[in-house]
Amino acid sequence: MMSDSRRFLHPEAIKRISRLDLRARHVVEGFLTGMHRSPYFGQSVEFLQHREYTYGDDLRYVDWKVWAKQDRYYVKQFEEDTNLRCTLLCDVSGSMQYGSGAMSKYEYGCTLAASLAYLVLRQQDAVGCVAFDETTRITVPLRTKRNHLDSIIQAMEISGPKNKTDLYPILRNVAETYPRRGLMVLVSDLLADRLSLFKGLKLLRSRGHDVLVFHVMDDDELDFPFSGPTRFEGLELPEHLRCNPRALREGYLMALGAYLEEVRRGCVRHRADYALIRTSEPLDAALAAYLSSRLGMHRRN
Amino acid sequence: MPPFAHEALLWGLPIVGLPVLIHLINMLRHRRVEWAAMEFLLVSQKRNRTWVLFRQLLLLLLRMLAVATVVLLVARPLLHNRLGSLLGSTQTHHILLLDDSFSMSDRWADTSAFAQAKMVVNRIAAVLAQEQNPQTFTLLRFSRVTQPDRGTRPDLLKETVDTGFTTRMVETLRAMQPSQTGNGPAEAIEAIGQLLGDGRQERRIVYLISDFRARQWDDSTDLRRQLLELNAADAEIHLINCVDRAHPNLAIALLAPTEGIRVAGVPWFMEVAVQNFGTTPVRDVPVLLEEDGHARASVTVAEIPPGRTVRERFPVHFPTAGQHEITARLESDAVGVDNVRYGTIHLPIDVPVLLIDGGPDARDARYLDMVLAPGGSIRTGITPQIETAAYLNGTRPLDRFGAIVLANIERLDIAGIESLRQYVAAGGGLAFFLGEQSRSLFFNGTLYCDGQGLFPLPLGEATVLPVDRLERGPDLQVAEHGVFRVFAGKRNSFLATVIVEQYFAAADGWEPGPDSTTRVIARLRNGAPLVIEHRFGKGRVLSFLTTASPVWNNWARNPSFVVAMQDMVAYLSQRAAGDISHRVGARLQLELEAKEYQPQVRFATPGEDVTPTATVDAVRSPEGVLVASLSETDVSGMYEARLTRTNGTTETRRFALNVEPEEGNLAALSGPQLATRLDGVDYRYEQADAFQYSVTQLGGYDVSRWLLYLLVVLLIGEQLLAYAASYHPPACSRAAEGGVR
Repeated sequence: MMSDSRRFLHPEAIKRISRLDLRARHVVEGFLTGMHRSPYFGQSVEFLQHREYTYGDDLRYVDWKVWAKQDRYYVKQFEEDTNLRCTLLCDVSGSMQYGSGAMSKYEYGCTLAASLAYLVLRQQDAVGCVAFDETTRITVPLRTKRNHLDSIIQAMEISGPKNKTDLYPILRNVAETYPRRGLMVLVSDLLADRLSLFKGLKLLRSRGHDVLVFHVMDDDELDFPFSGPTRFEGLELPEHLRCNPRALREGYLMALGAYLEEVRRGCVRHRADYALIRTSEPLDAALAAYLSSRLGMHRRN
Repeated sequence: MPPFAHEALLWGLPIVGLPVLIHLINMLRHRRVEWAAMEFLLVSQKRNRTWVLFRQLLLLLLRMLAVATVVLLVARPLLHNRLGSLLGSTQTHHILLLDDSFSMSDRWADTSAFAQAKMVVNRIAAVLAQEQNPQTFTLLRFSRVTQPDRGTRPDLLKETVDTGFTTRMVETLRAMQPSQTGNGPAEAIEAIGQLLGDGRQERRIVYLISDFRARQWDDSTDLRRQLLELNAADAEIHLINCVDRAHPNLAIALLAPTEGIRVAGVPWFMEVAVQNFGTTPVRDVPVLLEEDGHARASVTVAEIPPGRTVRERFPVHFPTAGQHEITARLESDAVGVDNVRYGTIHLPIDVPVLLIDGGPDARDARYLDMVLAPGGSIRTGITPQIETAAYLNGTRPLDRFGAIVLANIERLDIAGIESLRQYVAAGGGLAFFLGEQSRSLFFNGTLYCDGQGLFPLPLGEATVLPVDRLERGPDLQVAEHGVFRVFAGKRNSFLATVIVEQYFAAADGWEPGPDSTTRVIARLRNGAPLVIEHRFGKGRVLSFLTTASPVWNNWARNPSFVVAMQDMVAYLSQRAAGDISHRVGARLQLELEAKEYQPQVRFATPGEDVTPTATVDAVRSPEGVLVASLSETDVSGMYEARLTRTNGTTETRRFALNVEPEEGNLAALSGPQLATRLDGVDYRYEQADAFQYSVTQLGGYDVSRWLLYLLVVLLIGEQLLAYAASYHPPACSRAAEGGVR
């Protein structure tokens, strides 16, 4: 196993996505001036609105032209830009270890997260990382330094992934750890309790976080191309099943389709961006397509 | 359980368990996959468990049924009950064509080919008697096919099989023996087709029970066509071979007199030919001979190579005139019928020869008379009679003469020419010698008649042959011919001593046509024809274009002339000798003068010395002669026709009937050899001795066709079910299309 950053950071992919920006769709609370909208009004050239003067307001922002016309005191408010605080939530549970192609879901997810981290750091924003399975395995604080990328990549190299993912405790923990509004990027196969997931997403959204969900699935999981007598052994569950997969394929795809629809609808309901990504898709292409569409959405907002 | 055509193949039924075994092996050989999305798999399994299990069991059952059907299809079950009759035709017609040619008398160990054939027929009959379905039975022996005057006479024709059938069949077969005919299977198949029609309304099974001799099947084009026609008519064909292998066999292929005068009191020669049908040479084969029933000294054939025929001559001498019998026998071998050959020969006291000479001193006739009947103690059996041309005036009967010689004649009466034409056309022999009196104008105009007359060529003028001073070769150059046997062989000294000085040349440009019966049998050294042979009607004509006496040549002074002239008379008078034997099965026919004989003719077949078999009333022909014939000639040997003359005296005429010697060729075809000759024919080939184990298949309805339909349905059902159960792995592209995006 590679221990350096090259394992999860592919130069070709980085080169292709380096021209893209990762923008928060919602306002975020950064601590530096940046390219993301801030909930605070500050020293910006972008006029936002007028507000009636109250006691304590800085007299520098009183609009004297309005006072001359209406004999009332109004202060001018300006939009403040701030930097992004992006937290990468990487699922490193046992189910993420499955892979039929060049990369397992775990490797694909980590590469995706590393690429995003690179992107965020490149645009001077802060990025942190939380690797989790059934519990939070490691937490990397938010930093804007370029060499912070290595810390994030090392954090994702978790050995001995454990059991079934339970997302609500994780997300609740994240929400408490990062109280200021930021961008939460969840990279997982979401093979977990849906209610727990939706509860966690709801909590994050209620705390004002902008939430992105990258649903990473393997081709085998989506197509179920198996044939011949096969014994399936659960990566997270203790069950095993001996069957002819062709006989169960139809039922499997139906159950999977229902699950994906439920996840997609849940994300929409909680205003979280959702993207289903196949591990066979080139990472740069998948990421570029998503970020481009997100940029479009941002501009519409 | 119904009987099976191949019951031994039922041992294959345990392979019905093969699909289960394969299933179990596959279960053991399953692939192991660590799977993340177990949740959905378990949901699917829970939802489909019952249906999947049901489909799997159904699929397994279908596969086991398909395997069982294949096994049954190969084993060919036969239904003998009402169901069988409901499925198939209501009646099965078993047609047995039984080869009883004399090659079927082939013996080995304590059995024979015909005994094997009868055993097969008995067993078929025994099985059919137990059938519940209506069965009919036809038995036809080869020897009873299309016989003269009798037509095809099957032993049993559409006989209904009932409880007493077996007994009747045993009785019928008991009296059967191999015939002495050589009929082949083609005639039998042809006859059965004519006899029974196409038979679309019944199911037919044709059994050809034979010894499958190579001789009859080597050119099997017609047989193959006939069998294909039977196939096309939905008839089932069984070829049952009754011999295990070819056995060595000797046969007397020929017993015939050699050329020469055959009269009473004069020794003459006969020839016997022995053919070896075996694969190894045989040595010192004794041929036992009988003359008029009395044994005489036998001849021994030193060696007969395999597949070859060797001839031996032996002298014959009968002191009395009349009809005589000659029999040749071999020692016993595989086939006995062809070990004996019979012959009858009628010997006259002498052969009268009419010599007509046109010369004033009858010099030619006298020379001929001298060489044909030298007199003294030498007896040639020829009695010459010298006459002038006036003798041929049309009033005197010429039939009594064995041959007529016209020497140096100037002319003949029209009536004489006509009587000569009738004589030769009826089989008489005529010889011409030309001479000083001969005129080409008469010969060309009256005797040649543009090729329609007695004389074979148009004559030119009398021509002198220049003397060959260089002596480059003999004057006479002869072809191989019975008349010139004396000149046979290289460096024959007689030939060089014959000098021809004068002859009648043929007309310019004359040569015998390629298709005519005219042949030049002797030429002069200048290539001119000298002796010409041709046929006129049934008779023979020899024309010598020079003199008989030593006027234009010196041949009459040569000893070879004596031999040649006697051979000439023997050659011309062969009508008198006639054939010495007939073939078995051929109709014997007698033509009697109505004035001399009563119409009742009693025929005695071989072995019946006292009581004649049949009395036949002769029929008067349009020509006024009585014709009596006998068709029952299936046995070789001596037949007698006992005649009664109108004056009350009796006369016995004998006929020798012999088997076809080629039928004794016992070279047989094996199953594969037969298969190559019958390419495309659907038939079953079985050995008679092995036939007893599969005899139960012969009756009942063969449900193979229905099993085949069932198999097709099962396989289609299996494929549809397998497809429905998604056991057919789709292509990758289809898998991607079917997945979740």
